[in-house]
Amino acid sequence: MLLRTEGICKHFGGLRAVDGVDFTLKEGQLKSIIGPNGAGKTTLFNLIAGVYRPTAGKVFFRDRDITRLSLHQTSRLGITKTYQITQIFPGLTVFENVRIAAQSRVSAFNFWRSTHSFAPLNERALEILRQVELLEKRNWLASTLSHGERRYLEIGIALATEPQVLLLDEPTAGMSVAETAMCAGLIRRLNRELRLSIVLVEHDMSVVMGISEEILVLNEGRVLAEGTPREVSDNREVQRVYLGEEKYA
Amino acid sequence: MTEPIESRETMLRDVNAKPRSTVVWAAALVLAALPLVISVPLATDILIWGIFGMGFNLLLGYTGVLSFGHAAYFGLGAYASGLAMRYWGAGIWAAIAAGVAAPMLLACFIGALAIRRRGVYFAMISLAFGQMLFFLALSPLKHITRGEDGLTHIPLAEVFSLPLHKPVPIYYFIFAITTVMLYMTWRILESPFGRLLRAFRENEERAKACGYNTTLVKFFTLVLSALYGGLAGALNMLYLNYVPLTTLFWLTSGTIVMMTILGGKGTFLGPLVGAAVFLFLQNTISLWTPRWELFVGAIFVAIILAFPGGIMGTIRTIVNNRKTARLQKRAPAVPSEG
Repeated sequence: MLLRTEGICKHFGGLRAVDGVDFTLKEGQLKSIIGPNGAGKTTLFNLIAGVYRPTAGKVFFRDRDITRLSLHQTSRLGITKTYQITQIFPGLTVFENVRIAAQSRVSAFNFWRSTHSFAPLNERALEILRQVELLEKRNWLASTLSHGERRYLEIGIALATEPQVLLLDEPTAGMSVAETAMCAGLIRRLNRELRLSIVLVEHDMSVVMGISEEILVLNEGRVLAEGTPREVSDNREVQRVYLGEEKYA
Repeated sequence: MTEPIESRETMLRDVNAKPRSTVVWAAALVLAALPLVISVPLATDILIWGIFGMGFNLLLGYTGVLSFGHAAYFGLGAYASGLAMRYWGAGIWAAIAAGVAAPMLLACFIGALAIRRRGVYFAMISLAFGQMLFFLALSPLKHITRGEDGLTHIPLAEVFSLPLHKPVPIYYFIFAITTVMLYMTWRILESPFGRLLRAFRENEERAKACGYNTTLVKFFTLVLSALYGGLAGALNMLYLNYVPLTTLFWLTSGTIVMMTILGGKGTFLGPLVGAAVFLFLQNTISLWTPRWELFVGAIFVAIILAFPGGIMGTIRTIVNNRKTARLQKRAPAVPSEG
């Protein structure tokens, strides 16, 4: 098992945001987490990535207990997350956004050598920009990109840290229908071609049903159902809490 | 499309141009000629505060950590080097070394204690340490520091048989060190660590999610900025041949904040420009009114309203906007590959 949580809980005061969730991810798997707003999806991400310390329960990565590691430490192990609200470096060029992420795997505390001389990093950054289709705009400031392009750039930043698990938090949020379809294609490619293990939090049901191998449904901090897209969409409980609501959304 | 191998090379060249140090040497050239335009004492002050500001800017401008007690490093640098010369007969280089080492140690201590505190909390803790040092020098350590009178009777210093108590030789001595510090700052900003600082300036949370230990980065930067502060303090001691108690006063901390913001925090030349504008205004206005603070304050407000990013910050924004406009104009000509 690549990634596993064991009865993980996070309480904010009286609110049980995540309440005893067992989550598993196999090597190479693409798994989605769905659920109504406030179901605890993002909180679960933050618990895995080390943004929050759980109230109870444990997180394991390749059978190593990573419960008490913080965000930069889980990133170094190969667990990288993207954010629901785009997090990029707006005042840097698109290229530098990705290069700085790639640099994190090599040398942070080098005060003297010019970055010009770290050739493999530069090559790698270009390769990633090609994958997320931002090569043409490499010299643009990230702040001048469109919303969809920024989401792509954030995925590029995440890829540059050479992740083994990618946690994508609503990557298609705010994208047009066409952009969403392209983004779903990109995520599928990352999973199939680069053999990246991916956990996806997503609201767009067409994306979730189209590309996930397995789906975990959360409701009020607890696991409601788990299974293949077909099993989940056939589940009565899920239809009641989630899918029904989605129809008139 | 052209063949991929060639385009790959041009791509690498255009995204990763070899950095040029022109800006360092151009700034040095201007500073070398400065005493021809303004008075030598004013020019000397600009250099000293410029060095102080360069270090302060690394911390405030890049990591976003506001230290409101930077006078501690400046003053400690001045006192440590002055005391070394007065009581132990240290030579000038040993004195400077002491003036740099002591503040760096202090920064290690304050950093270990408080760097995890955010925003105003760190500002308050650093202010408290600054004031502690001020009152230590004022009274409990009076027999060493001479309290309110400031540290006097420091032996006159010479470098390569240049008399450093004369205005022009000391100016060019400090100028040489300023140039070294400018070059060093530039090298740091072009290094992986410096690139990280720039990213940090843009988005700390993202930097952390990329696997950078942001606490450690802040700690290193604090110690690094204490190096600059201490050096500036030691040079101030050599220049005045005296350490006034006010070097440790909180007003010194406030002044360096103002200068850095005025010039543009997070820009390479900002602190130097800020120090120059601030000191020039202070110098000119205090000629015709003793209430110069009032006018400098008003001008500070006016400049910040007109240039929200500070002088150099606003210039950078304008340059960036032009560059963006040029790229966007060119974009339709290059069809994006799907």
